[in-house]
Amino acid sequence: MDDLYLPRLARIAEVRDETPDTRTFVLQLRDGSVADTLPFVPGQFLELSVFGCGEAPFCIASSPTRPQALEVTVRRTGQLTDALHTLGPGDEIGLRGPCGNGFDVAAARGKDVVFVAGGIGLPPLRGLIWNVLDERESFGRVTVLYGARTPSDLVYKNELADWGRRDDLELLVTVDRAEPGWEGNVGMVPILFDMTELQPASSLVYVCGPPIMIRFVVQDLLMRGFGEDAVISTLERMMQCGVGKCNHCAIGHRYICRDGPVFSYRQIREMVE
Amino acid sequence: MQTLRLSDHLLPEFVESLKAWGTLWAPVERAPGVFDLEVIDDVRRARPDALRTILPFKKLLLKPRFTMLTGRLGEIPEDPGEGRHGPQVFFGAHACDIHALRILDLLHLSNFQDSYYLENRKNLMVVGYGCWPDERCFCASLDTSTADDGFDLFLTPLEGRMLVSVGSSLGDDVVRANPHLFEPATRQDTREYMERLGARRKAFTLSLDVTDLPYVLELKREDPVWREIGARCLCCGSCSMVCPTCSCFNVVDELVPQSVGQRVRLWDSCLFRDYAVVAGGHNFRADRADRVRNRYYHKQEAFVREFGVPSCVGCGRCIENCPTGINVVEVFGHVRGDL
Repeated sequence: MDDLYLPRLARIAEVRDETPDTRTFVLQLRDGSVADTLPFVPGQFLELSVFGCGEAPFCIASSPTRPQALEVTVRRTGQLTDALHTLGPGDEIGLRGPCGNGFDVAAARGKDVVFVAGGIGLPPLRGLIWNVLDERESFGRVTVLYGARTPSDLVYKNELADWGRRDDLELLVTVDRAEPGWEGNVGMVPILFDMTELQPASSLVYVCGPPIMIRFVVQDLLMRGFGEDAVISTLERMMQCGVGKCNHCAIGHRYICRDGPVFSYRQIREMVE
Repeated sequence: MQTLRLSDHLLPEFVESLKAWGTLWAPVERAPGVFDLEVIDDVRRARPDALRTILPFKKLLLKPRFTMLTGRLGEIPEDPGEGRHGPQVFFGAHACDIHALRILDLLHLSNFQDSYYLENRKNLMVVGYGCWPDERCFCASLDTSTADDGFDLFLTPLEGRMLVSVGSSLGDDVVRANPHLFEPATRQDTREYMERLGARRKAFTLSLDVTDLPYVLELKREDPVWREIGARCLCCGSCSMVCPTCSCFNVVDELVPQSVGQRVRLWDSCLFRDYAVVAGGHNFRADRADRVRNRYYHKQEAFVREFGVPSCVGCGRCIENCPTGINVVEVFGHVRGDL
C-alpha cells in the first residue's frame, strides 16, 4: 500500500552555514534521483524528520531545473531543527513529499517578476528564482528585494553577491540594523520599492517573510497599484500530516498544506482564522 | 433492498453469529445510564438501544493513540501494525453514526487517502439499530435521523421482533449464513414500521435551524457571542473527543530505550492552546474565543464549503459532555439572535 505517512530516506550530501542559526542542507535521495523519483515544482515543501525527534514541513529551496539535489534551508527553532543541525554529510533523515501546490511557473512566463523576501523568507522563493534564472529568456525583468534584521541574518550571502553582479537581475538588499562594515541600505523592506521601477501592470510579485512583514509589504504593493491576484505569497502554518487530514493548518475550508502553501493575496484576504 | 424480520428471542444468536465476521464491538452499560463501546464476548451485554456511547465508533477506525512507525535513526522505519485492526463488526450503529461514517469517509478518503483509515474502513461491518431520540438528539434537523444506506444490516425494533434491512452484499452474506434466524417481513411489519417512523419523528424535542447557516456564520463572524462563549469554554477538548466526526490528530516522535524511536499518532483538538503554534512560538489562534469560533465554523461552514455537508450529525454528545454546559444548539440560536 502506498503509505502517505511512511518517510523515505534522504542522505545529507553537504551542509552550508548561512547565518549563526541557519544552515542549508543539500539532500540526495537514497532510492533514486530527484528528477526520477521526486518530481516537484518550486514552492512545494517536504516533510523532513529526524526519527525520534519529530517531523516538520520545510520549503524546498532549490529548483527542478537543477535536479541533481534538493536543498532546504533550516533555522534552529526547536527540538527537530536542533537535531537537524547536529547532522552532517553522510547522515540520513526521513523525507515525505513533495507536498502542496507550489508556484504556478507557467503563469509567470512573459511577465516581469519581483521577489520580496524578509529574513528566512528568501529560501521558499529561492527555488522559483533559480527556475526563473535558468529559463531567463522566458521572463521579463527580474527584481529581488531582500531584507533581514542585520547583515549577519542575510542568507545565501555568496549567492547574493553573484546575483548582484548579474546584469539580467536587479538585486536590492536592506537591513533593519546595520553592523560595522555594512555600507548598504538600512530600513524595512518597503524602502526598497522606491529604489526600483515597479511595473504593476506587467508584474507578478512573490512575497515571503514574517507575517508582519508580509502585511506591510502587501499593503504597500496594493497602494502602488498591484492587483490582488498579482501579489502571491506562501504561508506558514502548524502542520502534521502535510496532506489535508490532521486539520492543523486549516483556515476556513482551505488546507495550507494541500491547497497551498502558495496563495494569491486575493485568496489570502478571504481567509479568516 | 431486502427486508426481513428477526424475532427478539433470536437476537442473542444473531449477535453471536456476527463474531464470525470480525472483532465484535457493541455498546455496554458501564454504570447506570453510562455506555461505552467495547469488544464484547458475552453477547447479552450488548445494548444496541443505548443512545450514545461516551466515545463514538471513530475509535474503531483510528485509535486515540497508536504507533505509526518504529525504527532506529538512519534506517527506514517500519509500521508495527498498531493502527491496523483487521475485521471488526460494529453492532448498534444508529443512523447518526452511519452518517458520521460517511463524513469521515469524505475527509479521509477524498483527495489523499489515509491508509490506516482506508484499511480499517474496508474491514468494518456496520450493523445498525433503530434508536429513539432523547432531549439532546437533534439529528432530524441535519437529515441524519434515518439512513438509506451506509450499513450492512440495519435492525429496527418493533414489538417482539425486529425489521432487518439488508444494505450490502456483506449483509446479505450474513443473512445467508444464518437462514434459520430470518423470516420474510409481513405487511403487519411494514405497518408497524410506518407507525414507528411517524411517532419517532414527533418524539424529537430539540431542533437546530440550519437554514442558510454557512452564510449566516459568515455574516456573524465578528458577533460578540463568540467572545461570550470563549469566556465560558475551558478548551478542554471534551467535545472534540466525543464528537463522531472530529478527527484532528497530532503526530509526535518519542524515544524509547535502546535508542529506538517511535512515531505516535494521537487524537487532537483544535481547542487546545498550542494547536496552531508554529516554530518560533507564534500562535495563530492564541485566544480561546478564536479557537471556539474556529471549531464551530469548521463544522458548520468550512466543511459545508468543502464537502457540501456540515460535519455534525446532531448526536448530542458534545451537549452531554461539556463541563460548562455549552450547548451547540443554543450557540447557533444566539448567533442567529433567536435567544
